[in-house]
Amino acid sequence: MTTSFDWKLPRGTLIHGKWKQNRYRVERLLGEGANGKVFLVERQRTWYAMKISSDAVDLQSEVNVLQSIAKQRQAGRHEAYLIDVDDFRNSDGVDYPFYVMRYIRGMTLFDYLAKQGMDWFPVVGYSLLVKLAQLHSEQWTFGDLKVENVLVGDYGRAELVDYGGVTGFGKSVRQFTEIYDRGYWNAGSRTADAKYDLFSFAVLCIQIHESRRLAALTASLLPQNRAPEELLKLARVNPVLRTMEDWLSKALRGEFAHTQEAAKSWQQWQHKHSRHAPSAPVPRWMKGLFVASAALLATTIYWLLRAGL
Amino acid sequence: MKQILLITDGCSNVGVSPVVAAAQAFAEGITVNVVGVLDQGDLGEFGSAEIEEIARAGGGLSRLAHTRQLSQTVQMLTRKTVVQTIQQAVHRELKQVLGTSSIEGLPPEKRSEVVRVIDELGETTKLKVALLIDASASMKPKMQAVEEAIRDLSLSLQARQGRSEIAVFHFPGSAHGDDCMMDLNWTADVRGVTQFLPRLQMRGTTPTGPALMHVVDFFRTPSQFLGNNNDETDGMMSDYVV
Repeated sequence: MTTSFDWKLPRGTLIHGKWKQNRYRVERLLGEGANGKVFLVERQRTWYAMKISSDAVDLQSEVNVLQSIAKQRQAGRHEAYLIDVDDFRNSDGVDYPFYVMRYIRGMTLFDYLAKQGMDWFPVVGYSLLVKLAQLHSEQWTFGDLKVENVLVGDYGRAELVDYGGVTGFGKSVRQFTEIYDRGYWNAGSRTADAKYDLFSFAVLCIQIHESRRLAALTASLLPQNRAPEELLKLARVNPVLRTMEDWLSKALRGEFAHTQEAAKSWQQWQHKHSRHAPSAPVPRWMKGLFVASAALLATTIYWLLRAGL
Repeated sequence: MKQILLITDGCSNVGVSPVVAAAQAFAEGITVNVVGVLDQGDLGEFGSAEIEEIARAGGGLSRLAHTRQLSQTVQMLTRKTVVQTIQQAVHRELKQVLGTSSIEGLPPEKRSEVVRVIDELGETTKLKVALLIDASASMKPKMQAVEEAIRDLSLSLQARQGRSEIAVFHFPGSAHGDDCMMDLNWTADVRGVTQFLPRLQMRGTTPTGPALMHVVDFFRTPSQFLGNNNDETDGMMSDYVV
């Protein structure tokens, strides 16, 4: 699964599809997945994301999943995710398979929340749950749900990226990351179902708010002592996570009947949270401005009264 | 499908060459994978060359890993080998049916079909993995990590749709001169089995080759290993497929 390859594609490299003859120009590297590299490319003045792998079977297997999802969604109003599938011959003389998908403009989850503020966390979380609910309704588990695989666009719209772990319900999860994995925490199997993703989602919430403590916890726990209860104990330390303990507990213990229920429960938490959340204190410069404008008003009235007399 | 996964941290020094033993395993339809465990320092040039050659002779893959990454490495190798073994079979078919020997040579639509079959078989074929653990003195501090990796592998295999079983052996076997000893007979579930690997220090030799030969024997005639130091035997040693 870690078949990284060392070559680079410099900016401006032309990629010529072997079977369909489409041409793409490489702009830059966007990121590295578990089984390939993703580049930002351009074709006829449109940006796309292109995933290139050195393992044809692995990549094709991912393409198959994307194609199945696309087929299921054809009737709907969803934009096409998968644009093109082809091979190209690299300068090293080897053919590499690639696929082209819609380019999603966005920031990583950590960057987004750092820039826009934690106020956006409940909205982003809800948006992500809706995405998962859709995937689950089509009988797919996302599998490798983690901070790195969530992109956030304008106004907290979450998008899932890297479909390498997407697995049909009932099969073994194709790709996962230990700390997000239900099996790692002795909380259930690695068989794909909706609850598997909800478990990872709960860990993701903890990761966002308490990444350092989570890292310390995983380093210190003996394998046989890993349990949902340990994650909940950690959650109680954090003021935001504490308010959502019920939700986290249900997700970590697999107690949500389906993802819609989890989303609904999330909304209820959002509702409560938005009312009880301590609003940020008024900054000092604003207080100063208020005093200054009040003084100005008083002066004006005094002056007006005098002038009027 | 039959696999042997050897986990070791050094060179063999007694008996038949492990490369010869691995070649014999492959000839009998068993793929041999090797994980070289390195902590503080490395295996040395000779050690890493040996594990690479064992895997090549056994038709499998080899990787070096720190104890931290042991679980991931063990799973990755097992999974990759399953896919690879199926691919090899598919390649032979491709040659006969389509005249091309590689999946890469197929146009995208046909490739999609072939890969769908590979994935399906990879998820549903019966799988037997025998783990062969180097328990020589230098491996002693790593035994807990090895055991954890085996539990984790078993958890992943349980999630497959096809029946999967593992068996565990360690070498050197005992002070009585046994090359290798069975710790767990074929089982689909290692939950509740505590400390199946020995924590005692073994004598100094590393009979990797003879131990491999024993495990190959075990695949052929499992009964001769019964009645060892373990009560996990539940007679599930029938019906493995090639």
